[in-house]
Amino acid sequence: MTIEIPQAFWLYFTFFALLFLDGIWCMLATRNMVRVLIGIEILMKSVTFFLIVAGFLAGRMALAQALVITVIVIEVVVVVVIAGVILGFFRKRDSLDVSNTREMKG
Amino acid sequence: MSDLLLLVPFAAVVLLNLLPKRARAAGTWIAFAVLALEAAAAFAERFGYAGEPAWSPLGAVFGFHVAPDGLSGLLLLCAGLVGITALLVAQKTLRETRERFFFANLVLVALVGINGIAMVRDLFSLYVFVEVTAVATFILVALDSFTEGRGTEALEGAWKYILLSVIASVLMLLAVAFLLLSAGDTSLEAARGALAARDPLAWIAIALFLCGLFVKGALVPFHGWLADAYTAAPAPVSVFMAGIVTKASGIFALLRIASSTLNGATPGREILLVVGAVTILVGAFLALSQKNMKRMLAYSSVSQMGYIALALGGDLRLGILAAGLHFFNHAISKAQLFTNAAAIERELGTLDMDQMGGLGSRMPVTAGTSAVATLSIAGLPPLAGFWSKLLIVLALWNVGEYGFAVVAVLASLVTLAYFLSLQRRVFFGKRDERWAAVRETTPGLWVPAVALALVTIALGVGFPFALEILLGGGA
Repeated sequence: MTIEIPQAFWLYFTFFALLFLDGIWCMLATRNMVRVLIGIEILMKSVTFFLIVAGFLAGRMALAQALVITVIVIEVVVVVVIAGVILGFFRKRDSLDVSNTREMKG
Repeated sequence: MSDLLLLVPFAAVVLLNLLPKRARAAGTWIAFAVLALEAAAAFAERFGYAGEPAWSPLGAVFGFHVAPDGLSGLLLLCAGLVGITALLVAQKTLRETRERFFFANLVLVALVGINGIAMVRDLFSLYVFVEVTAVATFILVALDSFTEGRGTEALEGAWKYILLSVIASVLMLLAVAFLLLSAGDTSLEAARGALAARDPLAWIAIALFLCGLFVKGALVPFHGWLADAYTAAPAPVSVFMAGIVTKASGIFALLRIASSTLNGATPGREILLVVGAVTILVGAFLALSQKNMKRMLAYSSVSQMGYIALALGGDLRLGILAAGLHFFNHAISKAQLFTNAAAIERELGTLDMDQMGGLGSRMPVTAGTSAVATLSIAGLPPLAGFWSKLLIVLALWNVGEYGFAVVAVLASLVTLAYFLSLQRRVFFGKRDERWAAVRETTPGLWVPAVALALVTIALGVGFPFALEILLGGGA
């Protein structure tokens, strides 16, 4: 079954796209690892938002709610692990600059 | 029953952390027991049943159902064998009890994810379990840096892996959202219906999900993270990752989607064919130019994953059989090669192949087993790898993709070239003065290698028999 795409979808979609691009930009434009982490968070938030919109438009809010709660839990775990890696870097290098980390050869 | 495959590893993780600090060495043995059960479950479980399982606590409490089939059994067997190998390697290469304890814990967490991937039939659940596996692996890659005085190399490998993994997660979640929008549900059944109805939103969803899986499975052009992660990770982690993690979270999920939703529909099939062929060639040529043994093995993994994607683009039934078989062969052989690399690293303290040479007479068992695995992956009869490559070429030939079939055959020659170069540089030629005192490695490292090599030989020689079981089992 295919649902009709209402006009409101494009409004939501524009907002999602802006947030998404913002997240990507935030990840790419900086060399600071904490800022990259913030970029990742913005990116995940934009997708979570889109998931809610999709549930709303498809008339499956209950399902979308379950999905979003699961996503939030997973996201917290991932962020803790990333923060741990950043902390490890900072302790060993005394710097948060990603460009210092190019020891590996392709 | 199949719920136990999720609950037992999880309970084992809880149990491990309840142990008093002095008893932590026992953690590894608990992990061994769980992995042995896992391998046994692959045989014991009657897979392929339809309808409600008889006893399902997860279904009763959360309304969450799993549906294992023949393919799941294959992944469970791989996970059991590779996991046991990785734990054995950990016993000999990780020095502190603390590190071994963390390793056992994280392997069990990853196992929950892998078992989930094996059994779910829902795009969102698939994402959740892929993420569970990934989070455990992030920490595994960085495991080396927990020890004082080590460099940040492991953290760098983990960082690269995390960044690309996050991109993959975002793509997969977007795919779930698009599927929800298009079909109103996230199950693979719904996806199949929406694809058959030629709904563009459903195609966007599947394309995004495939991209996410290409990142996870390190198919070209998303292969950048793999070599760094494998090389930076400690030896048992690279065995575990190369053997099962990348394969389960990227390639097995790809297999599942190709077999239950794509159904050989045209755009999906062409994407798999092109990505597969490019991955085979790029991976093989990158492998040719490597000096570090683990890096060469990593790029060889990239190249072999291309074969699986290529097989999925071929004849539907034969392609899935070939892909499943190649999946198994490659998991076993690559786990074994990384075990050999661990043995060499332990005895020599380096993985630079230019410094090695002539080790064959010093380490005959390592040399012999590594020859079996490399020749199997390169596709020489009568080893197991020959049969799966033959089936892949047949699957392509059956649907008239002659060009791709020729690429698959010719790329085998490049595979043979880089593996022969590995054998020559490491085990043959003139021995450096420094390695005069090198002896064969401890039984703890060569016994698992011999066991896996025997699996490869047995499957190759007894292939007609094995094929009968596979076909009978509905794989």
